[in-house]
Amino acid sequence: MRILLVEDDRMIAEGVRKALRGEGFAVDWVEDGEAALSAASGESYDLMLLDLGLPKRDGLDVLRTLRARSVALPVLILTARDAIADRVKGLDAGADDYLIKPFDLDELGARMRALIRRQSGRSESLIRHGSITLDPASHQVTQDGLPVALSAREFALLEALLARPGAVLSKTQLEEKMYGWGEEIGSNTVEVYIHALRKKLGADLIRNVRGLGYMIAKDA
Amino acid sequence: MSSIRRQLLFWLLAIVVAGVSLAGWLIYRQALAEANELFDYQLQEIAAALPSEPFNEILSSRDTGTEGIVLQIWNRNGVLMYYSHPRAPLAPRAELGFSTERTDRGDWRVYGAIVGDNVVQLAQPMTVRNRLAANVAWRTLWPLIVLLPFLGLAVWMVVGRGLKPLSRVARALDTRHPEALEPLPEERLPREVTPLVHALNALLERLAQALDTQKAFVADAAHELRTPLAAVQIQAQLVARARDDETRREALGDLQAGVTRATRLAEQLLALARSEPDGHARAQSVDLHALLDDCVLNYAPLAQQRGVDLGIEESADAHVHGDADALRVMFNNLLDNATKYTPAGGRVDVRLIVNDGHPLVRIEDSGPGIPVDERARVFDRFYRVGANANRARTDVSGTGLGLAIVRRIADQHDATIALGDSPAGGLQVELRF
Repeated sequence: MRILLVEDDRMIAEGVRKALRGEGFAVDWVEDGEAALSAASGESYDLMLLDLGLPKRDGLDVLRTLRARSVALPVLILTARDAIADRVKGLDAGADDYLIKPFDLDELGARMRALIRRQSGRSESLIRHGSITLDPASHQVTQDGLPVALSAREFALLEALLARPGAVLSKTQLEEKMYGWGEEIGSNTVEVYIHALRKKLGADLIRNVRGLGYMIAKDA
Repeated sequence: MSSIRRQLLFWLLAIVVAGVSLAGWLIYRQALAEANELFDYQLQEIAAALPSEPFNEILSSRDTGTEGIVLQIWNRNGVLMYYSHPRAPLAPRAELGFSTERTDRGDWRVYGAIVGDNVVQLAQPMTVRNRLAANVAWRTLWPLIVLLPFLGLAVWMVVGRGLKPLSRVARALDTRHPEALEPLPEERLPREVTPLVHALNALLERLAQALDTQKAFVADAAHELRTPLAAVQIQAQLVARARDDETRREALGDLQAGVTRATRLAEQLLALARSEPDGHARAQSVDLHALLDDCVLNYAPLAQQRGVDLGIEESADAHVHGDADALRVMFNNLLDNATKYTPAGGRVDVRLIVNDGHPLVRIEDSGPGIPVDERARVFDRFYRVGANANRARTDVSGTGLGLAIVRRIADQHDATIALGDSPAGGLQVELRF
């Protein structure tokens, strides 16, 4: 899952980035409203974490502009503005959720997963596919009821593919889901992780569509 | 406790009593003059009514001892022919016309006249006249004296009624919620109470303003504390989540930095709150030269660590009246800003000169400076340069309170701050005492 983090306080941004990376999210961080707009318009994200008091362009302004451009990206506002009027304004401007600083990282993670789940049209928090069950919250994957140990990157890759069964995801798209900006990506890392997943979960789970990318077939 | 009501009552009654007494005396004098006229006329008439033929001596036998009118008659040869009250204390001689004779039994009014062959003298004690005049005065005044208590009661009630608006104002203030600082109504007030209520309203307005400022400050402070606290919470949770020692050590370092930042903000808020009341600074003579030396000396190691050349270019002898601790906080904030925003390799120059008898402190740096359109706003609480401008914020962490504190302390010392461009290309802060 690829997240756009818009936050002008370096300490908070660093902390959130580290925490989310540990949960298998790929995080891109921008510090001001202008950069947030261009990033959100140019690249595809699964979620935006948006601070309101931003340099150059206020967070609410960024949000309204995005919604005016029909960008449907789920947005979670992270702010110190705690007045009810501010919350109402934020949600009315097009935010999907609102979290007040200081916040708990576990709660942030849970809210993010809920937003992503809703975005993908699922009501259940667990993702099931055949004998495989994936829990985005606990990062647990089980096959036939038995736990399967996956690394954070392997998990991110599997989650991306399971989120849209039947859809072909290109190597670049998959890399985007796994890595944030500035993270070192090896030339054949996707292949390496696909290989590892096939080894752990069965060779025929992930199919290769030559020249296009990878997919997981819709439930038979 | 002095009571307006009691004082008014006392003085009004005192004035009334004094007035009544004066009136009584005047009436008495008037009545006495009239009685004199009347009785003199009576004496004259009696004398004229006496027979004018020569008398044979008639020795008086009806002397009862109480003197009404005493009659003496002498014949042409000066022989006392008749004396109505031989025991009267009158001198045995006659004087023509009216006269007042002083005797050991009081003053007597005496009238002597020649009637035919006789000399007649009529005498009457003045006490009769005095008593009459006193009676007249008393009869005129006694209703007033009887009315005096009622007058006092009326005064008491009228004054109470007159003071009603005051107690109304007091009641209105008394039943007020402590937060309710809206002005008292000024209409329907007597002219004498209006200035009081007006002054009270002005005070209430100032209080409301001060309270609003305080509230805004507390709200700002609470809001601004959220950010560093949010960072600390995240960092603490990252420490808890760390799986290996390396990550944990790194996370702990971050947490330490986060706590330091939160502490710094709390300290700055405290400094601002301490300098909050807009009164004047404690006045004591401060050696500016020595104080500035000390501040620069304290900052030198930090500046060196940041790779900034901090030094005093010139320092005159100057003293100001003020609070040495507050001035130190002010200089420290300015030096902190200058060394913080000046990139490594830059310099910060401090000057203390005396211009027109005013000490002038100048701190010049070679940092990025502050854009002209932001110079007025940097003294606002929590304002940080670049927050709204079309340029990136500096990398330096700060609380946004430093210059607000500087402004507050400068104001308390009647010093003016001017921001300008330094010769080195950065910011020049000029403090003029």
